Amino acid sequence: MQSQRELCSFPIAPSHKSKLTSAGFLITEDLKHLKPSELSKETGIGLEECLEILKLVCSESVDGSKRNEAPKPAVSALERLKEEQSLPPIITFSEGLDNMLGGGVPLCKITEFCGAPGVGKTQMCMQIAVDVQIPSQFGGLQGEAVYIDTEGSFIVERLVDIAKATVDHCNEMARLEGFKEGEITVESVLSGVHFYRCHDYVELLATVHLLPEFIKKHPKIKVVLVDSVAFHFRHDFDDLSLRTRLLTTMAQSFIKLATEFKIAIVLTNQMTTKFSPGEDSRLVPALGESWGHASTIRVILYWEGQKRWAWLYKSPSKKESRVPYQITMGGVRDIVTFPADNSNDQSDDEPSSKRQKVS
Amino acid sequence: KVGLTSYGQILTLSSQDIERLAKLSQGEVTGLKTAIAQQVLTHPLLTALDLQRGTKNCLQNLIIGKLSTGCKQIDDALRGGILSQGITEISGESASGKTQFCLQLCLTVQLPPEEGGLAAGAAYICTEDAFPSKRLSQMISYFRQRSEKRKQIPFGDNIFIEHVADLDSLNSCIHQKLPHLLSSGSVKLVIVDSVAAVFRCDYELKDMYKRSKHMASLAASLHRISSKYCLPIVCVNQVTDSMQSIGKKNIPALGLAWSNQITCRLSLSRTNREVDLPRIILKGSVIGGFPTSIRTLEVVFAPNLPNLSLMYVIDQEGIKALT
Repeated sequence: MQSQRELCSFPIAPSHKSKLTSAGFLITEDLKHLKPSELSKETGIGLEECLEILKLVCSESVDGSKRNEAPKPAVSALERLKEEQSLPPIITFSEGLDNMLGGGVPLCKITEFCGAPGVGKTQMCMQIAVDVQIPSQFGGLQGEAVYIDTEGSFIVERLVDIAKATVDHCNEMARLEGFKEGEITVESVLSGVHFYRCHDYVELLATVHLLPEFIKKHPKIKVVLVDSVAFHFRHDFDDLSLRTRLLTTMAQSFIKLATEFKIAIVLTNQMTTKFSPGEDSRLVPALGESWGHASTIRVILYWEGQKRWAWLYKSPSKKESRVPYQITMGGVRDIVTFPADNSNDQSDDEPSSKRQKVS
Repeated sequence: KVGLTSYGQILTLSSQDIERLAKLSQGEVTGLKTAIAQQVLTHPLLTALDLQRGTKNCLQNLIIGKLSTGCKQIDDALRGGILSQGITEISGESASGKTQFCLQLCLTVQLPPEEGGLAAGAAYICTEDAFPSKRLSQMISYFRQRSEKRKQIPFGDNIFIEHVADLDSLNSCIHQKLPHLLSSGSVKLVIVDSVAAVFRCDYELKDMYKRSKHMASLAASLHRISSKYCLPIVCVNQVTDSMQSIGKKNIPALGLAWSNQITCRLSLSRTNREVDLPRIILKGSVIGGFPTSIRTLEVVFAPNLPNLSLMYVIDQEGIKALT
């Protein structure tokens, strides 16, 4: 059961993992009765880190709410399923993307978008920050967003472009279906995006620490976006194990936020080049392997020739797949391939409105 | 008392560690962290609407404006000009006009905000060839003629030039010399021409990891300056051969490690087409009157712009879009 679990499945820094393995510690059982000082002597890992590792691995002795794998009061799988299905996802405006994700960006989970500069991570975040506000009569969540910008790429005029397109679309749907127009306006969308600009990782940690209180005061919030998580963690860290610990703690805070408040967490990450001996170098998401465990859903955005693609790399429920997408004046959209397509800068060129309603 | 002196330390240590070290209870530690977190935040959470309108104790340096490029068509394409915060990179092959563009920005930054400037001077950090003072003088005399108000501005006096030869001197310039200039408010634009020169030699293959780290540190320092003093940073980059058989034959140098650090990338290139510029006499000076190559400016990525490209030429006045 728990004690037979392999140590390498825990979010421990790779250097520590290799030290644990070479000292002969492979599963949880092996660490069960050790003191931090003993573990430190056996493996050569520092005392503080040993304490962390033991706490992480032997959850029974620690306050269970800190660990995402900690057993909560038993809830049947059926109840869980009903709960999940009752929470609609955040629809993007790309049907291909929504289908790939199983309806849209899901609540109660961490979705990570990774990609090289210019592929559309910030655009995706802005799109989601707008889409979460779509009124419920159109199948939206009618919520608000918290947007944490670490790179300085949040430009209000761009958010206005995307908001305008969404508002126009909603008003058009309202007209077609006989609803009142004007439920959602560009101003209401802008006022529904709570913005914070982080200049370094300490500010980011501080913001994450204060989020629970903020969300309690603003219960309409349904998504927290961080663009990007990688930016401040990729320099200034000579001590990589500190970085891993901070990232792990941050990931745990996010998961707690997601499940406690039933919101979606959307993070963006950069790409880095990985050199493996004997293989060609390839692009992989930044922040290392231990960070790879943090997100529930990982989408890699990449270029192939002139087209942008979204690749569902990791998901608990959907199979791996890819869809092409484009960024228009109005935001993230499908690539429409029929010749009658009028994709010019002015129009928000999405196909028929009925697909936007989540049935 | 326990050796925890910085906010950063307290927020980065785990709660359990603080409890142990300082002999505080869990509740006390949480309260402590919350208080510190609130101190660390530089501004309260605002809404995008506040940002747009500049209301409600919205810190001025959160509002990102634009710096005019000096040519109206280019400004229109860029939705006002270059971003007034963050790092804008200008990459391109040699003689594509990168330095021209930078010189032009050194002039426009001195214009008042109503005319698209930031009403202050520029710091120009040269890492390659000597600063083109003659060309600058020529551009200044043309720039001045365009309006009476401009004749009042001593453009040359407000451009501060520094030559650095390597990364160490670049870093010391940024960390020591620049802050003096910047805190007086006399400079609202920092140009590094070029970033590529500093990183393209001096690193062996096995030091690539160090190179990435140094690039990231440099970029972080530049971003810090940009946010703190609310000004744009422009970095010039060279190009290198692309290994792909399809697509462009040149790509910006310095790789993904550098690309991840910048906010916006503009790419300049020459085409092999030429155009004859019509000869105009403006207030006694000649503009145009010679054949010149048509060049293209491309937005490779920017948070607020699509991947557009436009054609431009360089004449006595500087860079202007081809109409």
